[in-house]
Order: sequence, then C-alpha cells, then structure tokens
Amino acid sequence: MDPIEIGLWVTGGLLVLVVIGMRVAFAAALAGLVGLFLIFWSKKGFDPEDIGWAVTVAAKTAGQVPHSKVASNALSLIPTFILIGYLAYYAGLTRALFEAAKKWLAWLPGGLAVSTVFATAGFAAVSGASVATAAVFARIAIPEMLKINYNKQFAAGVVAAGGTLASLIPPSAILVIYAIIVEQDVGKLLLAGFVPGAFSALVYGVLIVGIAVIFKSVGPPVGGFTWRERFAALPPALPILAVVIIIIFFVYNPFGEKAWGTPTEGGAIGAFIVFCMALYRGMRWKQLKAALLETAKLTVMIFSIIWGVLIYVRFLGFADLPGAFSDWITSLEMSPMLILICILLAYAVLGMFMDAIGMLLLTLPVVYPAVMALNGGEAVSAADSAFGMSGPMCAIWFGILVVKMAEFCLITPPIGLNCFVVAGVREDLTVQDVFKGVTPFFIADAVTIAGLIAFPQIVLWLPSLA
Amino acid sequence: TEWNVSVWGKRRAFTEHIEKLAELVSEKTGGEFTMNVSYGGLSKPKENLDGISIGAFEMAQFCAGYHRDKNRSITVLELPFLGVDNLAEEVAVSHAVYAHPAVAEEMAQWNARILMTSPMPQYNLVGTGDPRDTLDKMNGMRVRATGGIGEAFKAVGGVPTSVPAPEAYQAMESGVVDTVAFAQHAHLSFGTINQATWWTANLNPGTVNCPVVVNIDAYESLTDAEREALDSSIDESITHYLDNYGKLLAKWDEVLAEKNVQKVMISDAELENFRATAAGPIRDQWITDMSAQGLPAQELYDLLVSTLEKTRAGN
Amino acid sequence: MAGASPVLEDGSVLSWLDRKLLIVERFFGLLAGLAIFSLMLLAVRSVGGRVTLNAPLLGYVDYIEQLMPLIAVLAVSFAQRDGTHIRMDLLVEHLRGRALWLFELIGVLLILVLVVFLIWGSWAHFQRSFDFGAPLWSRDSSTDIALPIWPSKLMVPVAFSVLALRLLIQVYGYGRALILGLEAPAAVPLVMDPAAQAAAEAEMLDDVEAADGPD
Ligand code: NA
Ligand code: NA
Repeated sequence: MDPIEIGLWVTGGLLVLVVIGMRVAFAAALAGLVGLFLIFWSKKGFDPEDIGWAVTVAAKTAGQVPHSKVASNALSLIPTFILIGYLAYYAGLTRALFEAAKKWLAWLPGGLAVSTVFATAGFAAVSGASVATAAVFARIAIPEMLKINYNKQFAAGVVAAGGTLASLIPPSAILVIYAIIVEQDVGKLLLAGFVPGAFSALVYGVLIVGIAVIFKSVGPPVGGFTWRERFAALPPALPILAVVIIIIFFVYNPFGEKAWGTPTEGGAIGAFIVFCMALYRGMRWKQLKAALLETAKLTVMIFSIIWGVLIYVRFLGFADLPGAFSDWITSLEMSPMLILICILLAYAVLGMFMDAIGMLLLTLPVVYPAVMALNGGEAVSAADSAFGMSGPMCAIWFGILVVKMAEFCLITPPIGLNCFVVAGVREDLTVQDVFKGVTPFFIADAVTIAGLIAFPQIVLWLPSLA
Repeated sequence: TEWNVSVWGKRRAFTEHIEKLAELVSEKTGGEFTMNVSYGGLSKPKENLDGISIGAFEMAQFCAGYHRDKNRSITVLELPFLGVDNLAEEVAVSHAVYAHPAVAEEMAQWNARILMTSPMPQYNLVGTGDPRDTLDKMNGMRVRATGGIGEAFKAVGGVPTSVPAPEAYQAMESGVVDTVAFAQHAHLSFGTINQATWWTANLNPGTVNCPVVVNIDAYESLTDAEREALDSSIDESITHYLDNYGKLLAKWDEVLAEKNVQKVMISDAELENFRATAAGPIRDQWITDMSAQGLPAQELYDLLVSTLEKTRAGN
Repeated sequence: MAGASPVLEDGSVLSWLDRKLLIVERFFGLLAGLAIFSLMLLAVRSVGGRVTLNAPLLGYVDYIEQLMPLIAVLAVSFAQRDGTHIRMDLLVEHLRGRALWLFELIGVLLILVLVVFLIWGSWAHFQRSFDFGAPLWSRDSSTDIALPIWPSKLMVPVAFSVLALRLLIQVYGYGRALILGLEAPAAVPLVMDPAAQAAAEAEMLDDVEAADGPD
C-alpha cells in the first residue's frame, strides 16, 4: 500500500466509525492514530519486526496533538465566545432585544415575526450558538405571536430559522474553527460574517412581510408604540451594541486609525462587558459557577473534535491525501463554479445527518485545499482566478458559504436541530409543525446563498477594507 | 530511502538550502535518496525537535529562541550585539558552535544531529510613525522580538512580544506591537514591510539561530553512498543559500525605495549606549546562568568570539 | 447530535463508582471553567494596561498558550459521562435493547483503546519537557517569558487517565446491560430521540432563565 491508498482506506474506516455512532472526536483521533501507524510501518516495508517501532512513533506523534495544537492564541476565541453566550442569558439581553425590536418593527405586516428575526440577529451578536438562540426565543417570542393569533406553525418556523443566524454573525465559534483549520486570518473571517448575516436576516424579513401581505391570516401588524416608548426600549439592549463595536474595532478601525487590538482580546473584552452586565442584573457565584461548568463542557466537546480531527489531519499530512484530492478535482472537465455548487450541495446532504461543527472539521482538511486549487491556488491574483477573487479572499468567501450551509442544515429535515429544540420548548408544537413552518425559509436561505455566490462583494467588502 | 523534512511557512529564502540539499542528494544518488519537504504538514514549528526525537520525520528546521530550555547551549548564538556582520560570518560561528561536544551532547538528548545552520542577517526593526532612533524612544516600545533580541529591547525599556511570524503583519496593523524585528526576507514574506514607514539600517541588535537537524538513527541507517551524498552536499547548499540571500539583500534598497520606507541610521553614541546597556549585562547573565546548569558557557562564548576573529583574519 | 443524555443512578457499586468519579470530573470541569474565565481577566489586564499605562501584560500570549490545553482537555471525561461528545445518532437511535448495548460497547471499547495510546503518547510528550536536573525542572519553555511548559503538558495524560476510568465504568455498564439484556442500565448515558433531547436541553435553559432576574 502506498500512502494515498492508506489514506483512502483509513478515511473509509473513519466514515464507518462515524456511521455506527462512535463519538466523532474519538473516531477521528482513532483513524488518525491507526493511519499514522500504517504510514510509519509502510516506511519499513511492513516488516513484522518493526511493528513495535511503528506503534511507538504513532502513539507519540498522536499524543503530542491534544497539547500542542490547542496551545494557540487564536483558538482561545472559542471558549470566550461560548462564555459570552451563557453570560448573555444572565444579563437579561434576550428579553431586552425582543422588546426593542418589537417597539421599532412590529408595525410592519407580519410585524412580530420580523421583530423576532431581527432580535435573533441582534442576539447572534452576543451568542455563538444557534441552538441556544432558538431555545431562548421559542420561549419569549412564540407566546407573544400566538397571543395575536399568528399561525402556530409559522411562528415556530420564524424562531427556528432566526436562531440559525448566530453562527454567521460574530461572535461565532464555527467561523473561528473554520479559520483555524484553513489557517486564515480569524479577524477577517469574523468581519466577513457581519454583512452576510445582516443580509440573511434582511432576506428573512422581506420573506415574512411578503407572506404576511399575501396571507392576511399569518400575522397582523402591531401598532401604537410611541417614540418615547421606542427610545426607552433601547438602553437595556445597549451592551449588545457595545460588544459588536468592540469586536469590530479590535479587528478593524473604520476611522483609519489602528485597530484596538487583536480579535482574541476583543472577544474577551466583549465577554467582560456582558459579565459586568450580568453582575449588575444579579448574577452571583452560584449562577456563575453553573455558567462556567456549562461553558467548560460545551468547550471541551468542541475542542475534543478539534484535537481529534487534528490527529487525523496530522496523518493526512504524512499521507498527502489532500494533495491527491485537489489534483483530482482540478483535473475534472467541469467548470469550477459547477464543481463548487456540487460541493455545497454535498454539504447540504451531509448536513442533514451530521452536526455542523463535526461536519466542517471532518471535511475541510480535504475539501478546502481542493476549492483553493480550483480557484487557482493560495497565491493566485483576482485576475487569474476562476472565481474572480484572490486566494485569501476566496478562503473567506468559501468559509462564509460553508457556514451558511451549516446554518441551513440546522432547519432541514430529518435532523434540523433547531426545529427539534423549538418543538422541545413548546409543548403545543410537534416537530412536524416546526418543519412545516420553517419550509418558506428554505427558499430564503437558497436566495441568500445564491446571492452570496452571485455577489461575493456582500462577503468581501468589509474584510477587504481591513 | 525517502526522508520526510518538516519546515513551516512557505518556500522562501530561509528554506532554500533545504530545497537545494534535497535536489543535490537526489541527483547524486540517482534518485535513490529523496527528501519530501513538508511546509507545516508534519508538525508545529515549536515541536519539530520533538518530532525528530520521536522519529516521526528524519529532518527538520527550528529556531533556538522558540524554546530556550530545549536547546540552551546554542542560545549563545542569539546573544545580542555579538558583532557578526554578514552571513558568511554567521555560518562560520554557527558551525563552530555546533561542532562543540556540549552542543552535540544536548542535541543527542533529542536524538538529533545538527547538519547546518540557516544563516540570517541582523534583525532590524520596521515600524510606523516616528522612527524609534534613540533609546528614549524605545522605552515602552512594544516590539515583536524573540530570544536574546527580545532581552536586549527589554534592557532598554521595550516590551518584547512574541507574535508568531505569520501574525506579525496583523499584530502591527492592530497596534499589538509598534515595531517588528525580522530579517529582510521575513519582512518581505510576512508583509511587515508593507505596514512600515521606516527601517533601522544599522541597529543590528542580533539575530535568531535556526539549525537544520537530522534524526541520528535515520542518519546512521543511511547507506555509505547516501550519507556521503548528504554530507558532501551541505557546503554547496549553504553556498546556494548565501547567493540567493545576497540577491535578496541587493534588491532590499530598491524595495525600500519602492515602498517609500525611510532608512533610519542610528547615531554611534546611541548605539554605544544600547550596547553598554544590553550586550555586556545580558551576556554575563547568560554565562552565569548556563554555567550554573553545568554547561561550559564561557567556553562556548569564547569559541564564538575566537571563530569570529579567525574568520575576519582569513578574509 | 450535541447535548447531554440522562444517566440513571441506583444502589449498585457501579453507580456508586459513577457518582464518586463524577465528583472528580465536576472539579476538573470547574477548573477548566475558571481557566476560561481567566482568559477574560488576562485580556482586561493586557488591554487595560496597554491603553492606560502603556504597560501591556508581558507574556500575554505565553499565558494563553499555557491555559488553552487545560481548557481543551480537563473536562473531557465530564463530557463523556453524560454523552455530551457529539456523534451521528442515525443508527443507534433506531436500536433497542441488546443490539443498542452492543454498538455502545463497541464504541466505548474503541475509545478506551485510543485513550490508552493517547495517555502513553501525551505522557511521553510531557516527559520530553521535564528534567529533574534543570531549573524549574524545565526542558521546554515558552517563547517570551520562558515559562516551563511541563505543568500544562502534564495535565493532558492526567485528564485522559480520568477519562480512561470513566470508560472502564461505561464498558462495564454497557457490557452488563448486553449480557443481562437490561432495559435501562445505570451509570451510562442513555440514548434519547431528538425530541426528548431537545426537551432536556430546553429544561437546562429553564434553570438558567429562572436565575434571569426580573425581566
Ligand atoms: Na454569533
Ligand atoms: Na439537518
């Protein structure tokens, strides 16, 4: 067996392990360990005498990874972002946002639903996790919509779809993970998430207004808020604005001065502001301890996949499978754009059955180099490239596209997690209800993704300034 | 025989001797002995020595300042203001120190044998805003510098910060550091020159020492012909590296002009002051600390100085 | 998918071991949580010092690089206890009884094998950075302020050893369920369908919201 063959066999074995329900993190690490062993043993011509040596070198090489690959400044953004999300509950930011959005936007047709979408988008700016966002708003927004006779299924769909925005709009753990795996600038990727996130929310909003205009029964407008009430609703939501501004300014200063620091520092300072707010709202050691334990658990879940997959990636480095896959992709007699769309469709299918973070971590080490090769390589200029953008810009663009695909997977059957969460929170709703209600938003997401492909400037404008 | 070679970043002047070595060895053995140079796929830069020790790959490059405690003896080459003027001198002093038994012994603990150095010119600063051309202005300066150079700036009140090289550009842009100390090729390949408004032409605070090592077992299990091909290619690889780097240095002034970067000359008085503050005390401290750990520190330092004198006398 | 599953408790020795180990796991989880919290404080100190006094925290990156491995592995067993580590449920969700316990057993046995090798490898990684004869026992140090790295490297095999104990409990728990054909064995995470799982997740947020104060 040559290294490429070993790479293919081990990758096949990894898929089997994942399908039979082994925890993804450990399946990837085990595949990597076995792969490393085979690679080292093959160097000695599979001589039985060298088995011991190959096992030792493989174990020691794999055993480095859980320490060395996570000892990284950029990766510290992930626990910080998760912590922000947990603290945000205690800071009472969700209710404040929904109230503010309601007072400003509820006069529109389908007003409460539009308010919900923009409140979830706002909450996305302090929350790194889509599922948590959906759960919180299922509690706050659905009762209010039902009170004024919204269609039950539609109200649930709005929340499930709105919840997905958290992974695109920074802080986003998924964007950080993407940046680390593909070794691109974390700050630029975070910046790149803002506009597509807002664009996505806008498409949702337009869709809701359209539906509400056509089907009068869906959701009536709610008027009667005075300007005084509107402005009074803003201050409790202000910490969100502070976090957004801090994260932006720590990556890029729009006034042409130096940025305030690194994304790592920005995330941590944002967390500190939300922490102070939570203290002010009455959080004490008992609640903080609960938040820290939950943050630690969610963080270790994500990091286990990271180091597990990186053991597998270390093996791929020795087997050079990504190189072989890129060569194959670029040798296809198809237009690069068509291949890219096929790749995104494959993600849509895979995402039906897998968790977003696991899916991205498992596939990107092989898929990302291939996409970069399709565009003409890491160092290609915009003029010579297949997609009309330089290598680094293509990396950012593709990142936003796959993260949007991962969001999409949160609301598609059979395992759209956000839909299950919404149904779980509301006893009067079945999962089928939520899936039915969320269907119009598939169209919205398809429009968004098509828009991001047709107009890459939506993604690239902000990061290209920095 | 096929060797895996672990380096990092992308192909640049700093890795040209390794690429040349791979080419020569393959040529001389008629393709029997090949080297597979991997840019970051096999290990993290700071773990290259660990990988050699394990036997995961056969050859690797690393820099002494990344992890002083792993390679205490060769940090003598990173002391500030040694007075090394050019790359040929850097090669001479490095190889003399590498040949010292204390160095060989420390490397052998990692199952490593040093093959050659990756000579680098003096790490001069680039920065934005007003040039930091006096010690006063360096007080409180946040500078990307590692090892002995970092120590030197600390001695005059600077704040050394070790941003990983690929992030240096962003660290400058974001104000995490005010200035970056690099060799010229790194200012070019990591883009810090694009941020800069000035470059110190004559500060010459010191450099970083980055040897190329091989796994001892792998080296010893080469056939005689292969080992001969490897050993005999080192000088030629270094020569190729020096030629290539020389071309880069020759173009450096053009690059500065093109990017509109001011060449800052620091006055002799300020330089003398800097040396007095940084060079002597840091060297003495190093000798005291390392002797306490049982290394022949004074001997290593004297070897360096005498080699430098000999090299100069020879020219 | 993500999210914890229920672990039953009863009067058996196995369940007693499970609860005792949980105490250790919760302690490690809290340590990891405090490490995350200190990331925030470090940034406040570093940025605050830089902005106000031009005195950033010397070695900021070094400290973060020391903390991250703790954050990444200390709670690994805490998360394994209740099945927080994600997986694809497509198959196991449709299994019941012995067939389910068989796949669960295979899963934890494979993880156990992996973890034994990782304990070996990460211990070796620690050993290479540790030297009784050197100052601070250090043979590997951080770049800026030369902090010894061995303490943070040591935490990895320690965390994996706790995980190995947890896996032994789970191997025994699933193995017993397989042989005896149990319905709901103690001390192992039970599979929930996505709906039940979402309900559990929502319940967890209930606890959080209850503390949400007067809004
Ligand atoms: Na977010
Ligand atoms: Na799905």
